[in-house]
Amino acid sequence: MVTRRRVLTTGLTTVAAVSGTAAALHPMLAADEPSAHGGSAASADAALGNAAGGTPLFDEVYRGRRIQGYSTADDDRIALLVDGRPLHVMRRVDGSWISMANHYQPYTTPLDTARGAVDVMRHADLSAAPVQLSFLHH
Amino acid sequence: MYTRRNQRNLTSSQRTQFVQAVLELKRAGSYDKYVSLHSRYFAADGETGLRVAHMTPTFFPWHRQFLLHFERELRTIEPDVTIPYWDWTTDRSATSSLWDPDFMGGNGRDSDGQVMTGPFAYGTGDWPIVYGVTNERYLTRNMGRPDRPIVLPTKQELDGAIAMGTYDTAPWNSAPSTQAFRNKIEGWTVSETKGGYLHNRVHQWVGGHMIGGASPNDPVFWLHHAFIDLIWVRWQRRHPHSGYLPDKPLSTHDPERGRVLSLDEPMPPFNVRPSSVLDHRKFYSYEE
Repeated sequence: MVTRRRVLTTGLTTVAAVSGTAAALHPMLAADEPSAHGGSAASADAALGNAAGGTPLFDEVYRGRRIQGYSTADDDRIALLVDGRPLHVMRRVDGSWISMANHYQPYTTPLDTARGAVDVMRHADLSAAPVQLSFLHH
Repeated sequence: MYTRRNQRNLTSSQRTQFVQAVLELKRAGSYDKYVSLHSRYFAADGETGLRVAHMTPTFFPWHRQFLLHFERELRTIEPDVTIPYWDWTTDRSATSSLWDPDFMGGNGRDSDGQVMTGPFAYGTGDWPIVYGVTNERYLTRNMGRPDRPIVLPTKQELDGAIAMGTYDTAPWNSAPSTQAFRNKIEGWTVSETKGGYLHNRVHQWVGGHMIGGASPNDPVFWLHHAFIDLIWVRWQRRHPHSGYLPDKPLSTHDPERGRVLSLDEPMPPFNVRPSSVLDHRKFYSYEE
């Protein structure tokens, strides 16, 4: 959930500080380190299913990648995983979603959003560490 | 005051100068904050909170200020450097000189999208990716999206958008019904099969890093957005009696209040008002 952003009154000599957004990119050196949660795809599955009353939307293999989708208890937000790693998504005003991987192309369903991300990821992994559930904790 | 030029008209030494300044910025560790910042300020209109960069009236002034910061930093390295613009209505091919090995380098290879030629190819050691949505350490491109081909926007499409006489209109978002210049140029209002429109479609046409949340990893980002900036200049010239909207803060009852910025409200993180950057001639001119 995008919330208040701290306004910097100076230039860009430091990276602007923000809070409350899950969209921030992390340096890959950090992202490649083992997750603090010690996560695997299997535990991500279980954790997401339990988090915030999330319910599974789909779980399939698409072009060789495992994609999973969950909705939160209020059905207002979704969580997507590609091979166990979270794919951050944002909602558009018309109800469609964009993902961080395919950021300039909205999709009308969570499944198509996940597939659309896989379409452009080729063989790369998401750089977010497995099991990063902050975006369900709102 | 300085001049921004069409990239196709740069001399060989101007091309080299731009590339060298960008590489030096990267080497000094100063480039990647722009990648990170662009991502942090990418907010969508179906969420809550302020939008300054996309799906919002400040799309043009925010990116103008973003480019100004980048350009100022480049010019501390190479005082004569300016950001060239890429007119994708004329340089429409993956083999245009834009993509030559002395400038942006070429397309990604088939197997993994890795750019193999030019100064930003991973093999040079000069262009490791630090912030990425995916974990490739190398720059990627996938020009024309071969599995579902798209073409760059045409001059006719661009002219149609510039002909729109209103800068922006309520509810100031990316919905198809928000019919005005700014939303038309951003290009969200298209189907999944056709891809985006204008600004968005250029990101999609280049592919690779340019379609993700870390798009400034590809230096062509700056050339694309310099042209987007010039498009705003052309729109202003074409419609001298139309200005930035909303020109006053939205009413307390307006659901978009606090979510979009009007003419004199400062844009984070720059703390610069749209009204301060409406006239680019204070900073630079375009050689057209």
